[in-house]
Amino acid sequence: MNPLLTFVVILIGFYGLSTSTNIIKSVFCVTIIESGVILLFLNLGNLDGGVIPVIGDTLPVGGIADPLPQALMITTIVIGSTVTALALMLCIKVFHHYGTVEWAEILSRESGK
Amino acid sequence: MLYAPIALIFIPVFSALVIYLVKARFIHYLALIAQAAMTVLAILYYQTYTGNFADTFFVIGGWDARIGISLINDPLSLSFVFLSLFTWWMVLIYTFNTKQDNRTFLFFLMFLQGVFLGLLQTNDLFNMFVFLELTTIIVTILIAFKKAGDSFRAGIYYLLLNTSGVLMFLIGIILLYFTFGTINVNTIQEAMQAGVLVTGEEYAVRFAYVLLMAGISVKAALFPVFTWLPKAHGVAMSAISGLLSGLVVKGGLYLFIRMNEMFAGAQIDYTLFFYVVGALTAVIGVMFALTQKDMKQVLAYHTISQVGIVMMGLAHYDEQTAFGGLLHIFNHALFKTLLFLGAGIIIKAYNNKKIKEIRGVMRTMPVVSIFMIVGMLSITGAPFFNGFISKSIIKYGIQASGIKYWILFIVNIGTATSFIKMSQVFFGPKVMTLRIKEMGQRIALMTLAFSCVILGNLYIPISEGFFGIDVSHVSAVKWEAFFDYAVALILGFCFYKLVIEKDPRAVRKIREFNVSFETANYLFMLYVAVMVVYFVLL
Repeated sequence: MNPLLTFVVILIGFYGLSTSTNIIKSVFCVTIIESGVILLFLNLGNLDGGVIPVIGDTLPVGGIADPLPQALMITTIVIGSTVTALALMLCIKVFHHYGTVEWAEILSRESGK
Repeated sequence: MLYAPIALIFIPVFSALVIYLVKARFIHYLALIAQAAMTVLAILYYQTYTGNFADTFFVIGGWDARIGISLINDPLSLSFVFLSLFTWWMVLIYTFNTKQDNRTFLFFLMFLQGVFLGLLQTNDLFNMFVFLELTTIIVTILIAFKKAGDSFRAGIYYLLLNTSGVLMFLIGIILLYFTFGTINVNTIQEAMQAGVLVTGEEYAVRFAYVLLMAGISVKAALFPVFTWLPKAHGVAMSAISGLLSGLVVKGGLYLFIRMNEMFAGAQIDYTLFFYVVGALTAVIGVMFALTQKDMKQVLAYHTISQVGIVMMGLAHYDEQTAFGGLLHIFNHALFKTLLFLGAGIIIKAYNNKKIKEIRGVMRTMPVVSIFMIVGMLSITGAPFFNGFISKSIIKYGIQASGIKYWILFIVNIGTATSFIKMSQVFFGPKVMTLRIKEMGQRIALMTLAFSCVILGNLYIPISEGFFGIDVSHVSAVKWEAFFDYAVALILGFCFYKLVIEKDPRAVRKIREFNVSFETANYLFMLYVAVMVVYFVLL
C-alpha cells in the first residue's frame, strides 16, 4: 500500500472534523485520523519480503521489518482507545445535559439559558 | 541521583494511586508528603548536577540511546520542574481538605503532575507525544470535574481539538524518525547540525517542523487555535483554571523552545512568522478580554494575550529578548495562578461571576484584595513587580523596531484597561457574604504574592545564577519606567470610561462572537496550510 494513501485517510479525517456538526461524528473523525497515522507509521516501517521481528537463530533472507514502529504504534492504539472512550463518555454526559449532540444546538441552548 | 527524574515522574503517580485506592482517614496527607519528598529530591538533584548538565542523560534499561526511553535535564527543564513543583504546592494547599470525596480530585491532580514532569524531562520524541496526550486526557477530566453541562461541553471541545493537534505532532515525529532513524532529541539535533541530508530530505524535515509546530500551537493556545482555552478555563474550578493557565499551557511553550533548539541546524527562520503569530495572539486575546463580563473569562482571555507576549519575546534569535519571553513564562505562571485563585475565593464568597455585580471586595475581604491587587499590578507591568521585568526585557530587545514596540504598547494599554475594569469590584460598601475562613487558601495566595514581589526585585541574581544571563540593564528605579506605566494606566482609564463602560454595540458583538468546533478545526487546517506555504514551499 502506498504511504500517500494513508495521507488521504488522514485528510479525510481532518475534512470531516472541519465539516461535521455532530459530536459523535467529530469523535469518529479523530479516530479516522488516528487510524491514518498508525497506518502511515506501520507502512513506512514495512519491508517488502521481510519477516516479523522475532529473534531467531539465523537472520532471515528477506530482512526484518523495523520493530520500533510496531512497538510505538501499540502505545498509540492504547492511547487512542482511551481518548475514544473518554470522548464517548463525555458525549453521553453532554446528551444528558442538553438533550442533543449537535454542536450548534448545544450552543444555542447555552445562550438561551 | 542519576535516576531522580524517574522518581519525580513516579512518586506523584504512585501516591495518586494509593490515595485513590486506600480508604484510610488521613490518606490525604500522603499528597503533601509526596510533594515534599519530590521538592527535596529536585533540589538535591539540581545541586548534584550544577555545572555539568550533560551528565544527566541516561537511558532506561540500558537500550541503545537511539531507540530507548531516555531522559535528560538542563537548566531550562529544571527551572520548569521547580516552577511546576511550586505551582502544584500552591494548588494542593489551596484545595486541600480531608473530605473523602476529595480523593478522586487529588488522584487526578497528582497524576497530572507526574505526567507533566515527564513531559519536561523526556529526551525522546515518542514519549513526548505520550506525555502530551496523557496531559490532554487528564486535563479533560479535570475540566469536566464540576459535572455541569457546560464543563462537559468544554471538556469534549478541548479533548477533540487538542487530540487532533497532538496527532499532527505524531505525524511530524514519524517523518523525523524515517529521516534520521532515531527518536532521540539530542541525536536528531546533532544530525541536523552535521547537515548530512540527501536532497528531498530537507523538505521532509521542514514538513516535520510544520507539523510539530502545529501540534504545539494548539497546546500553547496561539492564534488562531486558542478557542478551546476560554471555554475550558472559564468553566473549570478556579484552582484547576489557575493550574491550567499558569502551567499546563506553558507546556506547549516549553516544547516550542525545545523543538526550536532541536531544529537549530536545519536553518529554519521562524522568527518573523512566530512574531506575527504572537502579536496577533496578544492583540486578539486582549481585545476579547476587554469585552468580557465574567471574571474568569477575562482572566482566561488574558492568558491568551500573555502567551502572545511570551511568543513575541521567544521569536528572536537574540539571547536577551528570548530570555525575556522565557522569564515572562515564569512570571505569568505566578501572577495568573494568584489571580485565578483569588478570583475563586471572591466568586465563591459572592456566589457570582459577573464583574458588574460584585462590589465592595476591599471592605469585605481586605486580605484577599491586597493579594489580588499585587497580582493585578504584576500583570499590568508595574515597576517593582515581576511582570515589569520580563516585559521590559522584551521591550528593550524590540525597541529598535517601531511597529513591534507599538504593538507591545497597545497590548499593555489593553491589559491596563481590562484590569481597571476588573478592579471596580474592590470599590463599594461592605456586603454580607458567606464567611469562608480557610487558612490554606490564604497561605497559597500569600506565597504567590510574595514570590511575585521577590522575582520583581531580585531578578538579577536569580537569572544570573540559574541561566547565566545578565539582565542588569533593566531597572525599575528610573523615571521612564514609572512614566510608561502611568501613561498606560491613564490611557487605559480613559479608554475604559469612554468606551468599555458604555458597552457599545461593537463590544457586545465581539463578546457574543463564538467560534464553533467545525470552524476551529477549519482555522487549524488553514493555519497548518499557511505554515506549509511559509516554511516548506518558500
